[in-house]
Amino acid sequence: MATAIVRSALSRSSIRLTPRTSFAPPKRNMSSSAGHDDAYEAAKWEKITYLGAASCTALAVWILSKGHHHGEDPPAYPYMHIRNKEFPWGPDGLFEVKHNEGH
Amino acid sequence: MIESQRHSYHLVDPSPWPISGSLGALATTVGGVMYMHPFQGGARLLSLGLIFLLYTMFVWWRDVLRESTLEGHHTKVVQLGPRYGSILFIVSEVMFFFAFFWASSHSSLAPAVEIGGIWPPKGIGVLDPWEIPFLNTPILPSSGAAVTWAHHAILAGKEKRAVYALVATVLLALVFTGFQGMEYYQAPFTISDSIYGSTFFLATGFHGFHVIIGTLFLIICGIRQYLGHLTKEHHVGFEAAAWYWHFVDVVWLFLFVSIYWWGGI
Repeated sequence: MATAIVRSALSRSSIRLTPRTSFAPPKRNMSSSAGHDDAYEAAKWEKITYLGAASCTALAVWILSKGHHHGEDPPAYPYMHIRNKEFPWGPDGLFEVKHNEGH
Repeated sequence: MIESQRHSYHLVDPSPWPISGSLGALATTVGGVMYMHPFQGGARLLSLGLIFLLYTMFVWWRDVLRESTLEGHHTKVVQLGPRYGSILFIVSEVMFFFAFFWASSHSSLAPAVEIGGIWPPKGIGVLDPWEIPFLNTPILPSSGAAVTWAHHAILAGKEKRAVYALVATVLLALVFTGFQGMEYYQAPFTISDSIYGSTFFLATGFHGFHVIIGTLFLIICGIRQYLGHLTKEHHVGFEAAAWYWHFVDVVWLFLFVSIYWWGGI
């Protein structure tokens, strides 16, 4: 009972000490829309998204259609393909051409 | 909120999830070490630990969402906690990636004689930065634009549009991850091919991992937006996901310029 009174008194005093307005988080401080409303901004960023997606598609068509050239295999330098022990799943890495398919 | 509560703080209930998460992390670590060394049962303990961790993450976040939505404990002052937490987490992630850029720059600015004194090392056939990496470069910022669209739609109270915007964000993210996966399978070098392969896959691999985490985060936000959890005034989870997504986006720009482009010529 006594502790409850003390606790409620403490919490009341803490409310008085810290005005509620100070709790409000900074509102939209990363937003660029100082002068516009959010519906306008949403429509603007929707257009930017479509523009971005369209240019990505165009770029994808261009890059994937032009194909790429492969050079010949380099000699086996000692600092290449370093394997001091097997991987837990076997001798070949996950993202490489498999050299030991039979194991 | 409970009527007798005369403050705006959230005094959390006792929860089993911190200890279950700790046990899951312990089993994952020990199991992971056992798996990577010739111990029996390593894979089993690792899987068990990961399942335990994933379960803990699910139920813990489920509890937080219940406290926020149904119980209304996330007052303005309580929202400050996850906001500061998210910002500090992202700052720590910046430092994490700083180390990988440091490693890459350390090895490439003064290439050691053992790798031929040149960068990329002699014998390394690098990926052409102007193919898939260049294609991926506008995809992530477009996804960032879509998440900004979602943010303004939430603030404007356009609930359906916000869901569409998040779907667009996630689709662009998946395209990015798909291209990165393609590139990984086609790469002429591996993580065990010289310091180039090590630094390249460490940096781009951790970035890819973060893209996947950010995508999951955005998918959860999309589901929560669809369920009506996010309001004009209260959408801290979405804001954290958007900050995280912009961070991942910026890291990619640095990766492209310094590792793919500068490091590849």
